Amino acid sequence: MTTKLKRLALTLAMLAATSLAHPGARAEGTAEPAKGGTLIYLEQQAHTNLYPPAGGFYPNGGILNQITDKLTYQNPKTLEIEPWIAESWTVNADATEYTFKIRPGVTFSDGTPLDAAAVAKNYDVFGLGNRALKHPVSEVINNYERSEVVDPLTVKFYFKKPSPGFLQGTSVIGSGLVAASTLALPFEELGDATKIIGSGPFVVESETIGKELKLKAREEYNWGPVKLEHQGRAYLDGITYIITGEDSVRIGALLAGQADFIRQVQAYDEGQVEAQDYQIYAPSTRGVNNSVVFRPDNPLVADVKVRQALLHATDTKEIVTTLFSANYPQATSIIASSALGYKDISAKLAFDPEKAKALLDEAGWLVGSNGLRQKDGKELVLTAYESLPQPQNKETLQLVAQQWGKVGVKLNVLAGDSGSKTVDDLDPLKTPVSPAMVGRADPDVIKSQYYPKNRDVLRQKGGLSDKVQSFVDDKLNGLLEALASEPNREKRLAIAGEIQDYVVDQAYAIPIFEEPQAYAGARYVQGVAFEAVGRPSFYSTWLAEH
Amino acid sequence: MSAYLLNRVGQALFVLWAAFTISFVLLQAMPGDAILIKFQNPDLGLTAQQVAEIRASYAADSPVFVQYAHTIGKFLTGNFGYSVQAGVPVSSLLAAHLPATLKLATLGFLLASVLAILIAFLSSLTPFASLRGALQSVPSLFISIPTFWLGIMLIQIFSFRLKLVPVINPGPWQELILPVITLAVPISAPLAQVLVRHIDDVMTRPFVGVARAKGANRQWILWRHVAKNALLPTLTIAGVLFGELIAGAVVTETVFGLNGIGGLTERAVGSQDAAVLQAIVVLSALAFVIINLIVDLLFPVLDPRLRTKIGAAA
Repeated sequence: MTTKLKRLALTLAMLAATSLAHPGARAEGTAEPAKGGTLIYLEQQAHTNLYPPAGGFYPNGGILNQITDKLTYQNPKTLEIEPWIAESWTVNADATEYTFKIRPGVTFSDGTPLDAAAVAKNYDVFGLGNRALKHPVSEVINNYERSEVVDPLTVKFYFKKPSPGFLQGTSVIGSGLVAASTLALPFEELGDATKIIGSGPFVVESETIGKELKLKAREEYNWGPVKLEHQGRAYLDGITYIITGEDSVRIGALLAGQADFIRQVQAYDEGQVEAQDYQIYAPSTRGVNNSVVFRPDNPLVADVKVRQALLHATDTKEIVTTLFSANYPQATSIIASSALGYKDISAKLAFDPEKAKALLDEAGWLVGSNGLRQKDGKELVLTAYESLPQPQNKETLQLVAQQWGKVGVKLNVLAGDSGSKTVDDLDPLKTPVSPAMVGRADPDVIKSQYYPKNRDVLRQKGGLSDKVQSFVDDKLNGLLEALASEPNREKRLAIAGEIQDYVVDQAYAIPIFEEPQAYAGARYVQGVAFEAVGRPSFYSTWLAEH
Repeated sequence: MSAYLLNRVGQALFVLWAAFTISFVLLQAMPGDAILIKFQNPDLGLTAQQVAEIRASYAADSPVFVQYAHTIGKFLTGNFGYSVQAGVPVSSLLAAHLPATLKLATLGFLLASVLAILIAFLSSLTPFASLRGALQSVPSLFISIPTFWLGIMLIQIFSFRLKLVPVINPGPWQELILPVITLAVPISAPLAQVLVRHIDDVMTRPFVGVARAKGANRQWILWRHVAKNALLPTLTIAGVLFGELIAGAVVTETVFGLNGIGGLTERAVGSQDAAVLQAIVVLSALAFVIINLIVDLLFPVLDPRLRTKIGAAA
């Protein structure tokens, strides 16, 4: 009888425990982290290059975030900049001089010290590039002039013009610090992970190109961001990245217990993952929203009325509800609502097909006999290439095409090989419409996206492409430059708001949804963190008993 | 014999040169190139001028003839160049990827042969017409199954549902079980079909009638008299099937995430990594030529009639 009672009590206790444990991720802090074990991480694509500024590509960033440290740490919850390799810093009033005090005792995994000289060397390359070794300039560093090693643990950076985004720039994935031996290699050799020497909590143990990458914890690591609860070495002994391109194999392997954590879960797979009590992680990328942008150099979309009409003809709510999930919030501006400098301009983005038709009529595009709008004998037929890295981009564009079709505009969605796509994408006549997004938790991200010398999504003359005939928007460029060099935080955020209004008033972009990075993991994988734009950090990750 | 060999080696060299040249021309004719695809990537945030500088440093825009002469010159000395996408020499990529594909292809082909022989012999030996019909339609079924679908189904059933073999982090031989089956099924189909056809053919020959009149049973006839004769045309097909084997490996390796030439090809096509593709084309052509040479040299070993003919010519 007593045994029976005991058993009953035990059962009840277990039931209670499981039901309590159900909210899963939020139970993190309660248990004592267990040390040891190897995390099996399934990645959709192989990394391409581990030059830190190339970390924007998710597979690259997912590795760099474990093997490199940054000067500063951006708290993903508050977006405040906190100390990491830099213990403290000072910025002059007009944001042209930054001085960092380096934490003593930090070493790269090859034993060389991470001191002021090493930091200076890194930023000279990131800020100016290296022509001989083909190292490109980092897109997060604006107006960089030079560095100065004040003493072994103090480094000072000088800028040609105010560079208020620089402090946040020191915290991003593209600013991982690497040893001098890594920076001495030509760009094309940086695809070899074993040659990337960082100071991070993990080091590269071995690599099978295109298939597998093994990281192991660095025993002496003791310089994580100071405000983190976890200090000392990583809890995990190692991480094994396995390239598994097939969506169904990645998810199947996770659900069958063959893997612990996977990247890239499509919205339509979220249901089956959660139904089996696995956890979906969908950190926001806090940058420019997943959007459709126009290339106004193309005469078909040169008229602002045509662009505005297409903006109002786009039913973003329908796209989000039919193709995506709650993890993909409908866009309310050109940047995410969790991004710095965000301004809610959803009123300007309303779906209004009648207004769209009226605007097209006003612009002189009238419905012809075949249902398509025509003007001067030309039909309003546009073309866009799908973007493979963006979630369900082909389906998104096809839905947009259907919606535009209802107001008499045809959008052809092309897949194309990567060569044709890259070439045509530079020519506004061939690609009047293009999908676009970029993540970074600083208002500078807007400049990255639109400025002709950066990503130049609108394709302005003097930008990325020499095929552009005449389109330049000096007002936009002026605002973007002001954004990147306004030292006063309040004023800077005001400029960010002004740009959001301007881009939508001009209907240069149709923001669709706030793009997350979707991961899935087993419940026993605890303490997974994400940096401010959604790359995983496994420093504090541990494996509970399972 | 030596004249025959010389002739064959000459043919082989021509095939290799043609494969190199045609693939070079085709790759040049495609819009864009590996450097553009890699460096025009907005994640890198390069300006037009920086991209132009990188292109210049690779001499990517020099005249086609200069590039052709340069590349073929390097190939002749065994230097396959650099992979733009992976940033490592092509030779080290090949060294890393070749063993897996060789293992997969060899085992896949062996299993395909076993399957084909089983189907052909069982269908020929079975006394029931209905079973015979069923067995003979197996090759049509096998060849109609899409490789990627078969691969995914095998993974779903044997790995995820029944948990018999892991696909993530499997042992060195475990990782081959499902891919080998996936690859063998479509390859076995034409082999089986040709074998069945020729067994039927040879069965109607007069010498079979003689053997039967002497009292040999069906099994004896099949093993002692028919099999050897029916194998010859099958061997020819086997040589040609090598191409299928490579094509199948591309799909199989991609589905199973194996690190072989197939997966490498798939990635190189995606990024138009010309140096890698050229090396793979030439390597495949070389393997194709060698296998067919071996098949041709095996003929006289299996068939004494061919042996005397070549002997007379030499």
